[in-house]
Amino acid sequence: MQAYQDKKIGGFCHVYIGQEAVAVGCVAALEPRDPLVTAYRDHGHALARGMHPKHCMAEMFGKIGGCAKGKGGSMHMFDKANNLFGGHGIVGAQCPLGAGLAFATKYQDEVINSGKSDCVTLCFLGDGALNQGALHEAMNLAGLLDLPVIYVVENNGYSMGTAIERGTTMAHKITSKAVGYGIEGLEVNGMDVVDVYVAMKDLIDRCRATSRPAFVDMRTYRYKGHSMSDPRKYRGREEEERYEVEDPIGKLEKLVKDKNYATPAEIEAIYDGVKTLVRESIAWADASPVPSLDELYHDVYVEKWGPYTGTSLPQMLTEKP
Amino acid sequence: MPISLTMPRLSDTMEVGTVIKWNVKEGDKVRSGDVLADIETDKATMEMQCFDDGTMAKIVVEAGRQVKVGTLIAMIAAKGEDPATITIPSGTAATGPVAPAAAPAATTEDADETGGRLRVSPVARRMAEDAGIDPRSIKGSGPGGRVIKRDVQAASTNVQSARTPIDTATPLALTRPQVVAMKPPTPTTPASPVAPLALGAPQGRVVALSNMRQTIARRLVESKQTIPHYQVTMRFAMDELVNQRTKLNDALAPYGVKLSVNDFLVRACALAMARNPYFNASFAGDHVVVHGEVNIGIAISLPEDRGGGLVVGVIQSADQKSLRQIAQESKYLADKARSKGLTIDEMNGATFTISNLGMYGVEHFTAIINPPNSAILACGAAVEQPVVRNHQIVAGWEMQATLSLDHRVIDGAMAAEYLRTLKELIEKPAMLLV
Amino acid sequence: MPTREIEFRDAIREAMSEEMRRDQRVFLIGEEVAEYNGAYKVSRGMLDEFGPRRIIDTPISESGFAGLAIGAAMYGLRPIVEFMSWSFSLVAADPILNNAPKMLFMSGGQFGCPIVFRGNNGAGGQLGSTHSWCVEALYSNVPGLKIAMPSNAYDAKGLMKTAIRDDDPVFFLESERLLSLKSDVPEEEYFIPFGKAAIRREGADVTLVSWGRPVLFCMEAAETLAKEGISCEVIDGRTIRPMDWETVFASVRKTNCCVVVDQSWSFASPGSEVAAQVSQHCFDDLDHPVLRVHSDDVPAPYAQNLEQEMLPNPRKICEAVRKVTYRL
Repeated sequence: MQAYQDKKIGGFCHVYIGQEAVAVGCVAALEPRDPLVTAYRDHGHALARGMHPKHCMAEMFGKIGGCAKGKGGSMHMFDKANNLFGGHGIVGAQCPLGAGLAFATKYQDEVINSGKSDCVTLCFLGDGALNQGALHEAMNLAGLLDLPVIYVVENNGYSMGTAIERGTTMAHKITSKAVGYGIEGLEVNGMDVVDVYVAMKDLIDRCRATSRPAFVDMRTYRYKGHSMSDPRKYRGREEEERYEVEDPIGKLEKLVKDKNYATPAEIEAIYDGVKTLVRESIAWADASPVPSLDELYHDVYVEKWGPYTGTSLPQMLTEKP
Repeated sequence: MPISLTMPRLSDTMEVGTVIKWNVKEGDKVRSGDVLADIETDKATMEMQCFDDGTMAKIVVEAGRQVKVGTLIAMIAAKGEDPATITIPSGTAATGPVAPAAAPAATTEDADETGGRLRVSPVARRMAEDAGIDPRSIKGSGPGGRVIKRDVQAASTNVQSARTPIDTATPLALTRPQVVAMKPPTPTTPASPVAPLALGAPQGRVVALSNMRQTIARRLVESKQTIPHYQVTMRFAMDELVNQRTKLNDALAPYGVKLSVNDFLVRACALAMARNPYFNASFAGDHVVVHGEVNIGIAISLPEDRGGGLVVGVIQSADQKSLRQIAQESKYLADKARSKGLTIDEMNGATFTISNLGMYGVEHFTAIINPPNSAILACGAAVEQPVVRNHQIVAGWEMQATLSLDHRVIDGAMAAEYLRTLKELIEKPAMLLV
Repeated sequence: MPTREIEFRDAIREAMSEEMRRDQRVFLIGEEVAEYNGAYKVSRGMLDEFGPRRIIDTPISESGFAGLAIGAAMYGLRPIVEFMSWSFSLVAADPILNNAPKMLFMSGGQFGCPIVFRGNNGAGGQLGSTHSWCVEALYSNVPGLKIAMPSNAYDAKGLMKTAIRDDDPVFFLESERLLSLKSDVPEEEYFIPFGKAAIRREGADVTLVSWGRPVLFCMEAAETLAKEGISCEVIDGRTIRPMDWETVFASVRKTNCCVVVDQSWSFASPGSEVAAQVSQHCFDDLDHPVLRVHSDDVPAPYAQNLEQEMLPNPRKICEAVRKVTYRL
């Protein structure tokens, strides 16, 4: 956030603050080979999946060291090594992609390798995406084709500035939407990482075994606005304060202390370590150079695409057979 | 609608004119065919004819004033209009012609611009430059007078024939020796490309070719490469023609007209076309275009200070012209080519070409066809030599002429036919009179 | 090489089947492609050969199944998605324009999208305006995708095989009006590379540039014009993105005249792109500005006479050629 305000990060920036338990708990319950796809509030998922913060930071700074060479930005965190399939800007667009990823793992396991489907895809979306057609088409297909995809709705109660009751029917029980497609629905307290982990582990194992889709209403809250430019006039300060008490990180810290999983000194060291890591990441991202202008024409096509601004010829630069 | 009368263009080169005398005054009734005024042009004083019926309403330009062609000089009230109500439209000092009825709106992209700006398509401009032709001298057939590829091609076709030069500018010097001296003619020096015998060593150097010469070179290669040439030669007894020529020239001397042997040949070739139409044709892929007009091209060499090379002047409708007209036109074309230069019309549209090396003593040669013609006649010198007449060996005048032909259009038998026709016309030159 | 005469639709099926036999990652997904044997019988028999795991019927849910296929492509499979008509692709506009062509770029080269979208494109069957879209103008604008538009069975097979093996998203525009047309297709495998046009007819007076079904209109017009003494060179672009500029420019330098024939509407179309490029790169070789022949700027009508009039038909092409060669 600081970096955004320092103008190091441009465009949109949707911070994950308050929802950390969801990403952390879910990812902990996943196997590394399981695909994960999410929307644009993706920093948490990227870090949870194993992306080094410096690449995440550099991507937001628009530097070549970023995970997408600075060409994706805050909303488009991709990490092939860690099976993170983005980072998508259009609300709901990732839902059919999630179904497709589940389709692909199942196809690979069963059709190509003649085995049994052994992967689960986690597809995260916000409660705002509940109203997009893409989600419903995806759920219909997932239910029809028995795709092992779990739609995890990070239900923070708001689509940008619109409270869920104002935009969604059955807002008090969104799992009913999944039931309509023959898909199992689950409600989970998203502010407690242990609750998340326990619930998701069970669900993921079940989906892996049955190769059936599922739908999770993950009750959570975002402390900040929809994005950096959101003044949050649509809710009161008391509401925010109420949820801040529920802070998942604070909860975890309390749990660790209570159960003596670590000493206060160790906890302190963890915090310090994180602060250092963040500072180092910022420094690294700062030092990372901006992408060369040449980079503009890389990755448009697999082949090298020629520069075309309207005065030259649009053509591939590789030799034609 | 009142009728505007503008200074008419009474000659092709006229730019300004003066009304010497008005034959009508305001209020007079005028009829189509009446001579309204005497106009002095750059060449002569001409009559200005009336083309409408009506009443002379306003005389705008008085007698004695010189104005540009196209300037409004009078207004005529049409039938039923009151001359008194006619007013001179404002801006009559305009030098442009009065606008005709509105052009059809159909061709939206070709809306005419004002101002006489040169409009040339990009490729036409480039081709004209390559051919050494000023695009301004080419009449454009595109919309708004745009000069297009086809116009430049037509213009350069006639510039590009690399015929061996005929010097028709000095007929006396060239041809009189054939008649009087009874000896092979000696080459005349000025236009002759034959260099004087040099006693020193030859000097090597690089000579840049003008655009025209480059284009000539290119066209020659193209002709030779694409047209299947073959040649047919015939000898002609020239005794009668030579005699006829002398007699005619004597009679024409008071009129300043001199006929050359070439003039006879031009007419003979032209007349022969009627019986041998394929000699007046062009190959066009899956069909042959037989031309309606007989336009004979004659090669004119240009002196070095005019750029060298040669141009082909065209005598249009040569079959319709008398020997006298052909002679006058040949001379005119040769003179003009060497001074002002020929216009596109004068170089345009040859359907058959004649090349004559006779004045250099050449007896026989073959020429390269000038596309899109299908044939070319190469004439040698008329030489006095032993010939057989009535089983006796006598001294007689003989000339060899060789046709180069496009075998796609003309085969051997047709060529022989043509030469037979020519023979008849040349050996009995009285046939050229009828 | 021995050849046999087959229909356009068979050529496409052969291409898909050959590639599916060779590479297990390739599968076909779309409405009615499996049990119905294809709404236009392009995929006839494929269900029997490849089974329901690889020839997949979908509900009517273009946005959903296009997105699903893209997700699968991101993972590494090589889907072929059939739109029953490219008119229906508009429903899937977000995934096919926002996800497929941009995935490689947004992920910094990590995730590509080796997917082929195919279907019927264009008017001419009295299907009404919502079913008669010519989408090339809409989609050509987008970098990151490729567009192929064959005009005959031979090209269809060669281009489809290239499309399936291509690692970038390809929009393959077929035409309902072409599906039954036959041409000689070799039995042996062959590929036609993208960005390589074909000269269908050589000529000297004017260059006609076109893709897909309008190429046939150009050939018809060329026959008519030949009788008038105008010799047309007809260039079949085969692919719009990438476009074979060299062949087009070489031809225009020879003929000095160019007419582009494009069945989409004229404003901001592939036709205007060609006209702009030719005007720029062949400026000094042009005898007349480049003219374009498009479908009339109206929604496609139902009435047959109106629809035929709307298309870039041979009559319009002849008129344009006469204008451009000054033979009015």
